[in-house]
Amino acid sequence: MSFDVLMLQLMTGLSRAAVLFIVAAGLSLVFGALRIVNIAHGSFYMIGAFVAVTLSVMIGGTTGFVAAIVAVPLLVAALGAVVERIALRPLYEKEHLLQLLATFALLLVFHDLVRAVWGERPHRLTAPELLRGSVDMFGAVFPRYNLFLIGAAVVLAIALWALMTRTGFGRDIRAAVSDPEMLGMVGVNVPRLFTGVFAFGAGLAALGGILASPRTTVLLGMDVDIIIQAFAVVIIGGLGSLVGTAVGALLVGITFAMGIMFVPQAAMAMVFVVMVAVLVWRPYGLFGIPER
Amino acid sequence: MDAVRTGLAGGLLRGRSAWAVWGVLALVALLAPVFASERQVFVLMTVLVLAVFATSFNVILGYTGMVSFAHAAYYGVGAYTVTLLWMHLGWPSLLGFVLAPFVAAAVAYVTGLIALRAVQLYFALLTLALGQLLFVVTFQWRALTRGDDGVHGVALPDLIVPTTNRYYFLVFAAAIALAILGAVMRSPFGATLQAIRENSERAGFLGIKVKRYQLASFTLGGAFAGYAGAMFVVMDRGAFPLLMHWTTSAEPIFVTLIGGLNSFVGPTIGAIIFVLLRDWITRRFVFWGLILGIVLLVIILRMPGGTVEGVQRLVARLRGRRGEDKVAEGSPAAAGGEPPPEHAPARGGEARTGDAVEPTHEGEAGKPAPGGGR
Repeated sequence: MSFDVLMLQLMTGLSRAAVLFIVAAGLSLVFGALRIVNIAHGSFYMIGAFVAVTLSVMIGGTTGFVAAIVAVPLLVAALGAVVERIALRPLYEKEHLLQLLATFALLLVFHDLVRAVWGERPHRLTAPELLRGSVDMFGAVFPRYNLFLIGAAVVLAIALWALMTRTGFGRDIRAAVSDPEMLGMVGVNVPRLFTGVFAFGAGLAALGGILASPRTTVLLGMDVDIIIQAFAVVIIGGLGSLVGTAVGALLVGITFAMGIMFVPQAAMAMVFVVMVAVLVWRPYGLFGIPER
Repeated sequence: MDAVRTGLAGGLLRGRSAWAVWGVLALVALLAPVFASERQVFVLMTVLVLAVFATSFNVILGYTGMVSFAHAAYYGVGAYTVTLLWMHLGWPSLLGFVLAPFVAAAVAYVTGLIALRAVQLYFALLTLALGQLLFVVTFQWRALTRGDDGVHGVALPDLIVPTTNRYYFLVFAAAIALAILGAVMRSPFGATLQAIRENSERAGFLGIKVKRYQLASFTLGGAFAGYAGAMFVVMDRGAFPLLMHWTTSAEPIFVTLIGGLNSFVGPTIGAIIFVLLRDWITRRFVFWGLILGIVLLVIILRMPGGTVEGVQRLVARLRGRRGEDKVAEGSPAAAGGEPPPEHAPARGGEARTGDAVEPTHEGEAGKPAPGGGR
């Protein structure tokens, strides 16, 4: 096993981590503010990918892809806002279990809706010309698109950090994470903030779904696939922590890539072993805070 | 998790009326093959398996107040105990059937020991991780399990090969499981579990070793999930990894929720409704998930006590307008005062308990105090 191959596989792991970070960041934000573990997050990811396929085919070419990346997360965010108002807002005072089950019910509903609209046939989202092909790295070839993914995740991470620390919206979210009741008392419209955060999370899921699609096929069932991986990421990192999400995404992405290289059969199992090990060591995840 | 607070179902399913419900169910179960077609008998077998699976789950959720996403893993362990002992060692399937709950209990004990390091939500997520780990191992370890292909054609004793005989075997098996679980839940052990569910801190102050009881409950539930898995093999004569997937774990949760998690009979009623509805819908319409999802959302948003409690409320309403008015106002007095008694005894005066009984008012409350009650 040469160093070059190892580095190349590491890069593959990084590009995997990039998508995981984008998706899991939304999941983690929603949990942090609303204290809801949103299983339907996977649905927004899948819906984003499918709508992007339709839109980019309609428009075509590079413009289509760019239009999809810009417009589809906004559309899915609007869908998220509607969902939050109808199905989740009545449950904020209720048990975690009911909220969890409500989002599971939403997953079932959206799964069949996507099946009804797009069918069970795999679809394809093609990357723009500019991002196709590969570049030479470590004496081998590395897909250009994967580099783009890593770059996109880094840019998004910085943007999220700026959003959380430099804007009023971010300040309110951080306040909601620590004490929503107090936030309400100082005059912030907390229910509206929650709707906003949920919509934002849904948009991030959709963006992740679109960005992940050119590397693979857009297929019914990608909702369940991604949500379990995103769970692994946020559980390892600690629910509600963006830094934790980034670290969790790196751990899961790289563990998986290395697993594929050494023991392909056990790659996914290794991710779960890492997750169990982290939780046994730190039951609230690496950067999580004990439940309030 | 404090998901479940109310006691065993009130009036309708207590004492004599509970026995009456079980009596009717038993009678229907015993007579069904006379009227049902072979396909319908298969549907009823599915009900039996799911009833045991969901009731075993309700030991953990309804009685102890813990949410586990690993339950399908123990179900699968039970199913694979029978199939793998038969396939690799040639052991008779009935021997595997007897061993299945013990193997599942052992696996549940070890995983429960790990998962119980965390509490509430993180406990649930840890069970998800452990359950998926067991699923992935089963899925990938082809030499042992044949992976995704699954194992088919398990040999059964000649006596239970005919569908009707197999059905009666499963009726008998389900009756034994439900009788044992029912007896255990009525015992002091079951009462201790409920005390932990109501308030684990206070239970701890009383000298109850909370974690030990939670682990015992988790293991007991896992054991009977394994038993249900073995029942599945008798019905289906095979096993496949999907049995262990986390989405399968959601099934007993849904079933319990539909039936009602505050009563022992709830999961059984839920299993009947769930399976019959699924059978009826999937033969007419491919989008079963859509219907199930909407039904679940309505139940969650409108009647979190499930159908058993829904029926109880209906009965309460029919019994007198005064009761109805009070219930409609969501007044705590409805629980304490006048008839209907169905609402009351087990639920004390806790304000939060009122929420569970009066779901419709949450939606209209407009702006719930954010963060409250979480």
